[in-house]
Amino acid sequence: MAPAPELEAIGVVKRYGALLANDHIDLTVESGEILAVMGENGAGKSTLMSLLYGLQRPDEGRILLRGAEVRFSSALDAIAAGMGMVHQAFKLFDSLTVWENVVFGAEPRRGPFIDRRAARAQVESLTEAHGLRVDPDAIVGALSVGVRQRIEILKALYRRARVLILDEPTAVLTPQERDGLFAVMRRLAGEGRTILFVTHKLHEAMAIADRVTVLRDARVVARMRTSQTTQSEIVRAMTGRNVDLQISRGVAAAGAPLLEVEGLTVAGAGAKPLVEGASFQVRAGEIVGLAGVAGNGQTELVEALTGLRVPDKGAVRVAGATLTARDVAAHRHAGLAYIPEDRVAVGAALGADATDNLAMGFHRAAPLSHRGLLNVAAMVKRARELIAKFNVKIASERALAGSLSGGNLQKMVVARELSHEAPVLIAEQPTRGVDIGAIEFIHGQLIAERDIGRAVLLVSAELTEILGLSDRILVMYEGRIVADMARSQASEEKLGLLMAGRTAAS
Amino acid sequence: MSVLANFGGVLRAPPALVAIGVAVLVGGLLVLVSGADPLQAYAQIVVGALWPQNLPDTLNWATPLVGMTLAAAIPLRGGMINLGGDGQLVIGALVGAVAPLVAPLPGPIAAALALLGAGLAGGLYAALAAWGEIRFRVPMLISSLLLSYPAVGIVSYLVRFPLRDTTTGLPQTAMVPDGARLPILIGPLNMGVLMIVVIAALVVLVDRRTVIGYELRMRGANARFAAYGGVALGRQALGAMFSSGAIAGLVGAIIVLGGQFRYIDDALLSPAYTWSGLMAALLAQGEPAGAVLAGLFFAALQTGGFAMQRETSVPRVLTLVLQSIVILFLAVRGGLGKRER
Repeated sequence: MAPAPELEAIGVVKRYGALLANDHIDLTVESGEILAVMGENGAGKSTLMSLLYGLQRPDEGRILLRGAEVRFSSALDAIAAGMGMVHQAFKLFDSLTVWENVVFGAEPRRGPFIDRRAARAQVESLTEAHGLRVDPDAIVGALSVGVRQRIEILKALYRRARVLILDEPTAVLTPQERDGLFAVMRRLAGEGRTILFVTHKLHEAMAIADRVTVLRDARVVARMRTSQTTQSEIVRAMTGRNVDLQISRGVAAAGAPLLEVEGLTVAGAGAKPLVEGASFQVRAGEIVGLAGVAGNGQTELVEALTGLRVPDKGAVRVAGATLTARDVAAHRHAGLAYIPEDRVAVGAALGADATDNLAMGFHRAAPLSHRGLLNVAAMVKRARELIAKFNVKIASERALAGSLSGGNLQKMVVARELSHEAPVLIAEQPTRGVDIGAIEFIHGQLIAERDIGRAVLLVSAELTEILGLSDRILVMYEGRIVADMARSQASEEKLGLLMAGRTAAS
Repeated sequence: MSVLANFGGVLRAPPALVAIGVAVLVGGLLVLVSGADPLQAYAQIVVGALWPQNLPDTLNWATPLVGMTLAAAIPLRGGMINLGGDGQLVIGALVGAVAPLVAPLPGPIAAALALLGAGLAGGLYAALAAWGEIRFRVPMLISSLLLSYPAVGIVSYLVRFPLRDTTTGLPQTAMVPDGARLPILIGPLNMGVLMIVVIAALVVLVDRRTVIGYELRMRGANARFAAYGGVALGRQALGAMFSSGAIAGLVGAIIVLGGQFRYIDDALLSPAYTWSGLMAALLAQGEPAGAVLAGLFFAALQTGGFAMQRETSVPRVLTLVLQSIVILFLAVRGGLGKRER
C-alpha cells in the first residue's frame, strides 16, 4: 500500500456570502514534492491556501495531513502540525536581529530567560543545514528583500515545518535572488519536505515544480505534470482559451526625442538622494523600459517626471517644452499621459463613478467643459465610448469604479490615459496584479502607441515584460541610472546583475 | 447568524433615514423613561415646526442654520473640515454691524457693502487656516478651530469696550440705521432667507455642473487621484476654505442686518448654528443638496423643540439629543460597514 500523501484536501468548499471562492477543491501533494498552484486573480488560490494554513475554516470538505484529518482553528494549530507559510508581505521585526526574528514565539529558555546562546546556535545550525546563507546577528531592517525571505523560510523550518506554502515568493526578487530561492526549494524538497508554490508565472512553475494544479473560477480545472505539459497548455487551463504568449512587435522606428531628462535629482530625507543625476531620452516610436528592484528610486523618478514631486535639480522636457518644477496640470498640458503604479490609491477614485473617473485630466477643456461649466452629456458619452472601446466590464458608466475587478479597473485607467493621445506615455507597472487576458490587451496597446509614433517609458519590476516590450532598457540602482542599452544587448542575467548593483562584465 | 444578516439588511437602507429612525426611537424611549408621553412630544415638534402659521419661524431659524450647513459642506465635499465657523461668523457679523455705522452712505449701499465686507472678512479668516496647512503643515482641522477662539474673544472685547453702545447697559454695538437693515418679506422673514436660497442654489450648481465642483468632488473621493489628474490641491484648499468662510461671514451679517440690527455679544453663538450646520453637512457627507435638506430638517427639529417645551413638560434639549444620536449612529454605521468588507 502506498503511503498516505503528505497533504490532501478533499471536496473543500468555501463561500463568502453569495460568492463561491472554493468549489469542491481536491488537492494532493506527496512528501518531497513541489506543487505549483496556479490561477488568475480571483481564481481561489489565496482562499485555498488560507484554508490549508488554518487562517480560515472550510464550509465543507476535509483536510488530511499524512492521512489523518485535521481541523485547524487557527494558524497556530497548523504550525503545531508542521505547516509553514511565507506570505507575500513579510512579517518580520525590522529592528531585531535575524536570530531574534527566527526564534520569536518559540524561544529556547533557561528558567524565565531566553537562552540567547542556544537560540543563536540553533539558528546558525539551521542556516548551515539548509544552505540558507544568513548572518544570524544581522539587523533585519538592513537586509535585502531576498535575504528577508530566507528568514521567513528559516522561521518556518525552526518550527519544524514539513509542509511549506510560498505565496508568490518571486514577486519581489531579482532573477539571481529567484534562482537562489529555487535552489533552496529544491534542497528542501530533497530533504523530504513538501512545498506548495503559489504563482502566476508560467516559466517559474515549469522550472521548479514537479506538478501543477490549476484553479479557475473557484474549481480545479487541471492537474498536470510539468515534464509532460507546456506553458501554453497551462495558460489555456488558467484562462479557458488560447492565448498568444509571444509579444509580437515590429522593429522600432525611433524619431525625435519627446521626453528628455537631464541631471534629475530628488533629495531624500537622509544624505543620499532618492534620485541622483538621472539623464535619458525617450524618442518618438520607441518603448524604453526602466528596470530595477522596487525601491531603487523608480517611483520618485516618475513622480518628478510627472510633476507630482518637485525635483531638486535637473530638467525635464516633454515634446520640447521645459517643465522643470511646473505642476501636474502643466505636464499634462504639454503632452504627458501617465498610468500610475497604484491604480487604487492614485489612478482612480473608487467612490466616484466611471464617468467621473474617465473625465479626469480632460475636464478642463472642450468637449467636456466650456468656460468652467461641465458638459455632463459629453462626459457620459466619452465614458461610454471608452468602456466599449477598451472592453471594460462594468454595469454602466454610472457604476462606481470600486465595483470593478483589478484587471478592469486597470483597463479603465489605461483607457483614460491612452485617450489623451499624448506624445509621451509613462506606464508604471501597467500589468501588476491583472489577469492574463488584460496583460495581453495592455501589452498590445503599449505597442500600438509606439507604432503610431509616441514615446513610451515603461517602468516595470517584471523582467519578462521589460524584455518583451522594450526597444531600449535602462536599469536603476540606488537612485542612479546605471545602464542604458539596446534591447539586443540585454539579457535577463545581465539585467539581474545590474539590478543587484553589480556592473555588467561587458 | 440570521439576526446579524437582518441587521445587515437594515444597514443597507439609506443610511441617513435609518439613523433618523433610530434617533426617533431612542429619543422616544428617553421621553418615556422620564415620565412623559413621547407621541405627544413628537406631535408638538411636528406642529411647532410645520404648522402653516409656524412655518415662517422655522424658515427664519433655518436661514442661518442652512447657511452654516453650506459653509461646512463645501470643505467637507473635498474631504476637508472647517471647524472655525464660529470665528468666521462673528467676524462677518461685526463687519456687518460696524460698516453701516462708519460709512456715511445711503442705506442699501451701506448694507450691500457690509454684506460684501462680511463675506470677504470671514473668507480671508478661514483661508488663513488653509494657508497654515499648505505653508506650515498645520492640520486645518486643528488650526481652523483654534483660530476661532481668538476671533470670538477679540470681537467680544471690541463689542464690550471700544465699539460699545454706551447708551445701554449691555455689551452691544449701536443700532444700524433703518436704511441699512435687510428688507422684510413676510412676518419675521427678511431678505436674508432669499440670499441663502440663492447661495444654496449656486453651491449645488457649482458642485454638479462646473469644473471646480468636479475637482472638489474628486478630491473628496481621493485626493491623490485629484492631484494626479492635475488639480492644484493647495490652491483648491484656499478656495474651498475661502468660500466656506465667506458664507459663514455672510450669515453673521445677515443675522445682524436682518434681525438683531446690532452686534449683541453672545447672541450669535448661543444657538450653535455652526455645530448644527456641521452635523447637517456630515449627515449628507458634504453633498450640498442633501446638506440643505438636512439643515432644514435640523432647523425644523429645533423650532419644533421650542414648541414642545412650551406645550409639554419635555425640555427642548431632546431635539439636540436626537441630532446627536443621528450623527453618532451614522458614525457607528460607517465603522461597521468597513468591517463588513
